[in-house]
Amino acid sequence: MKNLIQDTLNKIKQEHIAPEPRWKFLSRKIGIWIGIIAVVALGALVISVVYFLLAQLDWDVYPLMHQNIFTYGLSVMPYFWLAFLAVLALLAFLAVRKTENGYRFNWLLIVFSIAIGILAIGFFISRVGWGGRFNGMMMHQMPYYAQNVATKEKQWMQPEAGFLAGTIHTVSGSTLEIDDLNNSTWNVQLTKQTLIRPSVTLAQGQMIKIIGTRKDAQNFVASEIRPWVGQGMMGSGQGRGMMNNFIRN
Amino acid sequence: MIEEKALTDAQLVESAKLNPESFGFLMERYQGSLFHYIRRLTQLQNDDVQDLLQEVFIKIYQNLNAYDSDLKFSSWAYRIAHNQVIDHFRRVSSRPKTNALEDYEWDKLIQASVHLEKELANKDCVEKIKSCIQDLPMKYKEILILRFVEEKEYEEIMDILRKPKGTVATLIARGKQELKKKMKEQSIDCF
Repeated sequence: MKNLIQDTLNKIKQEHIAPEPRWKFLSRKIGIWIGIIAVVALGALVISVVYFLLAQLDWDVYPLMHQNIFTYGLSVMPYFWLAFLAVLALLAFLAVRKTENGYRFNWLLIVFSIAIGILAIGFFISRVGWGGRFNGMMMHQMPYYAQNVATKEKQWMQPEAGFLAGTIHTVSGSTLEIDDLNNSTWNVQLTKQTLIRPSVTLAQGQMIKIIGTRKDAQNFVASEIRPWVGQGMMGSGQGRGMMNNFIRN
Repeated sequence: MIEEKALTDAQLVESAKLNPESFGFLMERYQGSLFHYIRRLTQLQNDDVQDLLQEVFIKIYQNLNAYDSDLKFSSWAYRIAHNQVIDHFRRVSSRPKTNALEDYEWDKLIQASVHLEKELANKDCVEKIKSCIQDLPMKYKEILILRFVEEKEYEEIMDILRKPKGTVATLIARGKQELKKKMKEQSIDCF
């Protein structure tokens, strides 16, 4: 046994073996943590896209689609992003576990910290609008993605189901001429029962969403008109009782 | 030299970074326990165990700057030995066996794993239990050796294997269960 110590010391000296520099270990540690932060930040971007996709939809129209809130929710969930988010969260969890002292942390603490990190950074990313921008970029760059994600545009471009959206071209009496999101022209008929949300301005160039009934390829009877952005309630505390009935002869 | 012998492990690590001779004191402190640990995990001859131990010491020396003094030096050294053993078996593409245990080590392991008192067991019975332990997967064998032969605390096993405490406890419990299952399958009834 005595020989082993001397042999090892001789080997160290003869082969000029030296302890690896501290910066090497430190940079490896820092590299791993930068990787973890990058994965969490990517998860945050993904959750901001999920929020953007879900928040842009009108969640009160499910009865008109003959669905309940649960089936409607399932039909509009961005599964691709949720699956990606789950993969990122798992990756971040495993990476934390693989850090120098990661095995000492309680798994619940790791899960909670990653969730808080993703939500906090995701909130910031949502506030600055990167979620929407990233989604827009994906829609342009990846046609397959654009076909498979539930968007506000898709939700409101279903004339046969009673949903139409577009830009007002002309307003004439009780008829609006609009160019829909696919650049087709529609004549939209307003009636005494048509509900126009308070913040809607019926003027040329305004983008609107319409709930109603498709009569034929170019004619649509409106039962409700909403602005393109939001539901047109003009702030909180204002319900259906505050809405105008657009009555024209 | 006497002064250096009185230093703590962490102090010796600092000293060894500047002077390889100080590393000799660390090797002296741990060569016995690491030698036996490697021997228990492998089926190698003493000379081969010494070769492997030298690789472990070189690895420890090269990684001195990675040592975190919050950790017990022995746990860190065992961790490197564990990794080196795994690497060794990966290199030679064979599974480690644990029939290199001494009789007193078998007694400890059997007594703790299946609560079998030495005086109650006959030789034939003990041999059969040894064979069952040898057939256990490496992950169970190693953890049972660490706990019942090396007599390491849970915290130390956590640091050696870099596994959470819950996983360590689960592996020990499952290791015991597996052993009892194997004994049942082979109709070994020593109680």
